[in-house]
Amino acid sequence: MTEKTIEIRIHGRGGQGSVTAAELLAVAAFEDGLYSQAFPMFGVERRGAPVFAFTRLRCEPIKLRSQIYEPDYVIVQDATLADVVDVAAGTQPKSLIIINSEKESAQFEIDAQCRIETVDATRIALDVIGKPIVNTILLGAFAGLTGIIDLECIKNAVSARFPGKIGETNAKAVQVAYDLVGGAT
Amino acid sequence: MKVSHAAVCEPGTTLVNKTGGWRTFRPGYDYEICTDCGICETYCPESVIAKKGDRYIPDLDYCKGCGICANECPKGAITMILEGK
Repeated sequence: MTEKTIEIRIHGRGGQGSVTAAELLAVAAFEDGLYSQAFPMFGVERRGAPVFAFTRLRCEPIKLRSQIYEPDYVIVQDATLADVVDVAAGTQPKSLIIINSEKESAQFEIDAQCRIETVDATRIALDVIGKPIVNTILLGAFAGLTGIIDLECIKNAVSARFPGKIGETNAKAVQVAYDLVGGAT
Repeated sequence: MKVSHAAVCEPGTTLVNKTGGWRTFRPGYDYEICTDCGICETYCPESVIAKKGDRYIPDLDYCKGCGICANECPKGAITMILEGK
């Protein structure tokens, strides 16, 4: 982890848990010893509408309070959003876009210079949790692909947020996603 | 400074904004089993199931994939199929 601020933008549809994902990521990062922020940006607040949530991480206290315009990482919870909103907006060549899709990343016609990775999070969610809720799973994939946040910290944040069986199955799904993307490499 | 007011620009925008892309599952009909009872049409909260010709057909441009039709179908003629996204 460098001195640099790490900025993450999460795309989702209203009701998919994008805000929760951003918060969980911030909590997990905090537990991992970083300073963190999480905040949402709502457009029309209704189910299904495209929404954004942001997480900002840093080794030192964060004084910046602005929205995130140039994300280092983008998480897309619904692949069809790639057709509706510009998920690559503000990305740089070093950025990484993680999309929940069963397709290969090359199949996405996204105007971006950066790396794109896909994770079939819906499949993992249906197999492990039994419901197509993918937010926690994508955090596991994020941990595996980037190595920024310790996997255990994400699992702890998930278990603390959802006590009982829901937390357990979600933590398990986080692990599955982490393993699927090959852990932190 | 120019202040813009929020307003509905034009009517009928739902015709353009197809909401079917949100769903995870889509209903698949087995017309061999279907008895044309119309319960799916009655229960559909989005009113996207309608009889076209001699068959009930869901409008997949707007179906949100809730699965109520599959749950209510007395013959089990509807199965929810995972969408490939």
